[in-house]
Amino acid sequence: MTIEAGATKVIDGVTLRRDPARESCFQVVDTDAQMQDWPGMSGEARREKLHRHMNNETGALEIAAKALADFPDAPWDLRMQLARQASDESRHALVLYRRLREIGGRKGEFPVANYEWGVTDMLDNLPGRLAVQNRTFEAGLIDLLGAMRNTWRAAGDAATADLLDGILADEITHVRFANRWIRRLTEEDPRILLKVALAVRFLARANAQLGPKPGMTNAAGTVITEERTAPPAVNVEDRLAAEFTEAEVLEVLNQAGFRSILPTPLKAARA
Amino acid sequence: MTLTIRDKADTLGTFRFVSVHLMETLARWVPTTPELEVKTLFGRHIWDLAQHADALGKRTFELRAALHYSRRPAAAYGRELERLTAVPGTADRITNMYDVLLPDLAGRYDTYLKEADPLLDEPSVRVIGRIVADFPRLASDRAAVIGERAELAAPRRSTNGLGAIAQIVEFRPAADAAAPEAP
Repeated sequence: MTIEAGATKVIDGVTLRRDPARESCFQVVDTDAQMQDWPGMSGEARREKLHRHMNNETGALEIAAKALADFPDAPWDLRMQLARQASDESRHALVLYRRLREIGGRKGEFPVANYEWGVTDMLDNLPGRLAVQNRTFEAGLIDLLGAMRNTWRAAGDAATADLLDGILADEITHVRFANRWIRRLTEEDPRILLKVALAVRFLARANAQLGPKPGMTNAAGTVITEERTAPPAVNVEDRLAAEFTEAEVLEVLNQAGFRSILPTPLKAARA
Repeated sequence: MTLTIRDKADTLGTFRFVSVHLMETLARWVPTTPELEVKTLFGRHIWDLAQHADALGKRTFELRAALHYSRRPAAAYGRELERLTAVPGTADRITNMYDVLLPDLAGRYDTYLKEADPLLDEPSVRVIGRIVADFPRLASDRAAVIGERAELAAPRRSTNGLGAIAQIVEFRPAADAAAPEAP
């Protein structure tokens, strides 16, 4: 697979895939700092969170669909999983859009960024895309949703909390199939490990270059603090359900400073 | 006329090829279609077409062909399929998929059901019956989107040969004309 000329954009020295198609009502930006992100759960903050999430789910749909189109020779059972994922992400985008409208929001109300697409679609191999999109971005979403459903519930919005919990259940299955397939494919051909490692390294470089930095001010005028750039608490139980190994979960816990929602067995192991 | 085992496998393999092709078409359209409602319509239906292909591919194995045996359709049908899936605009994509390709495919499934022995070929009939039962939902999903985005309905198009695919009688090539393809 080759990336055709004109299909990329360069942001702060990092080459990313050019954005997928968006309606003209959307203002598409390139970095997190250009996004609007308010602290707390004001009406505006709630709408922006749903709007951002809706676009991220749309991006996840686009990544799964593009993988189906780009890798016709992938094992059929893996393609079935990608097809299912495309359908799941479509539903997620639609329920978030529905909820956004219910609380008074609208499409295009806030800027959107397509960072996950920009990184993932630069990779010319399916194991690399699974490692970056499913095993990293979506696994991160498992952590984020684990925390966010509690935040929404605590803010008195049980409907959104339940919606996020439903999405979380689906995301676990997307991470799990990627974990299974990466294991299987690398067992069959150990050279695939190198592709996975290169993909993860590309992601790390992009994150380091383009990720929000403490001291920056975003488009909503919010100063980005150390706390806001810290990874969310690790959703240990759901990561284990997604078939990360305990060693992998402990590694993520270490990166997150051991902030977690721990299930009993791991709590005992740590004690 | 009784269909031979080879006829059945070839026909189901051709249906599978078309299902995979349409799944890939929708997948290709998703990132390049701007409208959220349409993007997600295509995204949801990718899974339907994948399931159709999967069920057909499992049945071909029972008909002494390969698991997930796929067979390229007759040349004229294949050309028309390529032409209709190459369109760039959203309204044209919706029209071509939901007003032309899927109804045509549904008609070809119905033809198979009429020709098949419902007892001897009951497993294929069941598979195709379940597939055909999905088509009204696909159409109603499309209608719901057009209900929200009326500007995406494309009432025109009488001059670009839309619908020509329905005139093509030959769906699958003659038995010896195509070698079995990998899934």
